[in-house]
Amino acid sequence: MNKLKQSNETIQDLDIMIAIPSVVIAIGFLYMPRVLAEPTIGLDAIYTILLGGVITILLTWLGVSLAIHFPGQSFVTYASKLVSKPIAVALALLFALHGILITCFEVRAIAEISHLYLFNRTPIEVIGLAFLLVVIYAVAGSRVAIFRLNALFFPVILVAIFILAVFSLGFTDATNAYPFFQTDLNGYSFATLRSISTIGGFGVFGYVLFYVSLIRSPKKTPKMAMYGVILVILLHLIIFTMTLLVFGNITTSNLMFPVIELARAIELPGGFFNRFDSLFFVVWTMAIFNTTVMTYDLAVIVFQSVFKNAKKEKLVFLLAPIIFFISGLPKNTYELDYSGRMLSYFGITLATGVTLLLFVLHKVRGVK
Amino acid sequence: MKRYARSQNKKKNATTPKHNASFQIKIGTNLDENVDSVKKMLDEPDDLIVRELSIGTDHQKAAIVYIKGMVDHKLVQDNILKTILEKEPEADIDLSDYFYQEIIAISDIKKVKTLDDVSLAILSGSTALYIDQTDTVLLMGTAGGEHRAIEEPQSERLIRGPRAGFIENIGTNVSLIRQDIKDPNLRFKTHEIGRRSKQKLVVSYIDGIVNPDLVQEINRRLQSIDTEYAVGSGEVEHWIQDSFLSPFPQLGDTERPDRAVDALLKGKVVILVDGTPFVLIAPMTLVETLHSLEDNSQRWIVGTSLRLLRFLSAFIAIFLPSVYIALISFHPEMLPAKLLFSIAASREGVPFPAFIEAMLMAITFEILHEAGVRLPKIIGATIGIVGGLVIGESAVSAGIVSPFLVIITALTAIASFATPQYSMAISFRLIRFTFMIAAATLGLYGIILVYIMINIHLVNLKSFGVPYSTPFGPLLLKDWKEMIIRAPIMMLTKRPSYLKTMDKTKRDPSNE
Repeated sequence: MNKLKQSNETIQDLDIMIAIPSVVIAIGFLYMPRVLAEPTIGLDAIYTILLGGVITILLTWLGVSLAIHFPGQSFVTYASKLVSKPIAVALALLFALHGILITCFEVRAIAEISHLYLFNRTPIEVIGLAFLLVVIYAVAGSRVAIFRLNALFFPVILVAIFILAVFSLGFTDATNAYPFFQTDLNGYSFATLRSISTIGGFGVFGYVLFYVSLIRSPKKTPKMAMYGVILVILLHLIIFTMTLLVFGNITTSNLMFPVIELARAIELPGGFFNRFDSLFFVVWTMAIFNTTVMTYDLAVIVFQSVFKNAKKEKLVFLLAPIIFFISGLPKNTYELDYSGRMLSYFGITLATGVTLLLFVLHKVRGVK
Repeated sequence: MKRYARSQNKKKNATTPKHNASFQIKIGTNLDENVDSVKKMLDEPDDLIVRELSIGTDHQKAAIVYIKGMVDHKLVQDNILKTILEKEPEADIDLSDYFYQEIIAISDIKKVKTLDDVSLAILSGSTALYIDQTDTVLLMGTAGGEHRAIEEPQSERLIRGPRAGFIENIGTNVSLIRQDIKDPNLRFKTHEIGRRSKQKLVVSYIDGIVNPDLVQEINRRLQSIDTEYAVGSGEVEHWIQDSFLSPFPQLGDTERPDRAVDALLKGKVVILVDGTPFVLIAPMTLVETLHSLEDNSQRWIVGTSLRLLRFLSAFIAIFLPSVYIALISFHPEMLPAKLLFSIAASREGVPFPAFIEAMLMAITFEILHEAGVRLPKIIGATIGIVGGLVIGESAVSAGIVSPFLVIITALTAIASFATPQYSMAISFRLIRFTFMIAAATLGLYGIILVYIMINIHLVNLKSFGVPYSTPFGPLLLKDWKEMIIRAPIMMLTKRPSYLKTMDKTKRDPSNE
């Protein structure tokens, strides 16, 4: 392989910075104001966003600064040196399971939401299948290309959030912010946990363990990853504040997808597009797509490093029917919601546990 | 695929030795036999001129052979025939050496000894001088023949810029580039393609700027070409491109020497093919197909605005009809009430769903466009009038399509012509139909899914190792000021970084 190709075929530091918000922001972001407003009063959840954000930054930083010690090695390879090989493989497989389940969740959720907001005659399975097929096409391509896709779509998502925030300014009501500091401790701790869950994107922040070690020459990776998480926190703060100021705490905690409702509430000047929510959701498809591709790809990475001889395409195509099958399992939106919550607890426990375990072991044993 | 390539290789290996043997015939010493063998090989065509002469006082026999129409007649008359006949060489000298060194006033002259070389040279416009009793033939480069004068390029017009365009003659094209870059590092490497056509193909680059890996890769791919005759540069492009399944052109093509020169200075490689005014530029990225040299001649604010306008029109050309279909058939609530009413009123009486209606118009337009391109200019105007009437007036008054859709079709058509690179504009027109079908099946959701798919294709596609989606992904913000906007000329101090050039800066290093 020549130099021109090689330099374009590796992941750079900047890619990680874009990939973190791309993979974190998805379905969870759309109902984030609801889950945070439920246990809190007024605008109090912004403190928990900050607190949860700091914890997520810390965990991400631990993960990244561990992984950059092993450039060019797969997770299984370097984790085998820290814990024994069987445990490393088991941990990796747990991550793969998480990746697959998140993929299923996103596929099902996007089908449900499209059904709700875009068209109600088309069957949910068709919408989900169409989306999954596009995801498979992306995962079957090269891994670096997925990072390029993130870079391609993320600016569009940022613009969509920016427009949403700016145009909802006119509908805000300052009285919705009161009262301050009325939440009890129980509510705060509950909201902090949920903040970690949404800012950590159901535990996907643990995926840095797998992707950062793919960087050949990591230099500023921990810093870049931190910027990525900070960006996520900022977006959460902006949208949460706006949603709450427009709807108030009670309404927000009773809306199914408060962010889409916010998009429905605002009006674009000139009135060319009557319903911004449909347009917003269409753009949001890209955000969900980015997440789904990364989680799918993570499962493929794990299986690739466990089964060394398997071809990538085969793994991708084998996983596809399984994912489609699992995504059809929840009977209704309530079950889907519940499975999302369980998935997020599983993800956070897994990511936090593995990151801390490997980091401590690396410090103690000092493996190079 | 691999198996196919292997079998192709086997075939090639099997045929080459035989191929060589049949052409490596040595030239004898008998003049008549030699001339006969050339005649026989070409089957005595009418335009093969054999002029027999006798030289000097001892009447040494000789003959010059050339093909009428391929040579510069004046050159053959004045510089070869006349000079040979006027001279009276002394006896007992090697005539071929004598002519070679002293007599013939043509700079491009060489001695050869095989029939293969002679016949090939004659077919490319050289004149051969046979002398009796010698087995050496003198080949004189007299290639001439008719070719077009340098004109303004038809396919890429600029308001402000040079009027010269490439022509079909590769020698002239090379000199057009040389006239613009007087750098000793400017390289022209010649290849020969076409097993029967023996076309010249020149790879041009500037040593010291270009990435050597790129040149090596291009040369490697050019050697893999196995064709009888390359129809213009398009066929060369298809042989060396990265993906044959992609709807996008992976090499740039241009008729403009200034555009070729600009590409060379950026660190790209330009490929010139004999017999076509279109040269190829490699590598190419998606956004560069939307660039025009006009951006550089205008002031930067104007240049940037025009470029952004072109990006917008590319989006309109691709999306507009499909968005119309999606909005009318799936999401009418997204349109403001007033607009919705006026569209509904204009669609009253139209018997088809929006998709059929839009398809009808789009296909009609494509047929009109195709017919207009092929026809002579005079009839072309007629097509314009007929088409305008069909699209504009009659279809509406007959109630087949709505006037609103006429506006959409017209706007889409105009927007697709704003793409400077024709090969890209066709791709856009083609992709538009995919979007229309997607919009008809899944509405806006279908459009976004197809859009994502095209993006997946773009990030996986490469042009000679360079990702086609540069500089969006990989995100190269420093290239944006040259590729997305056109920043003031003082700020463009660096060559595009994605090309990984040897010489990174455009400025004189001593000034820094």
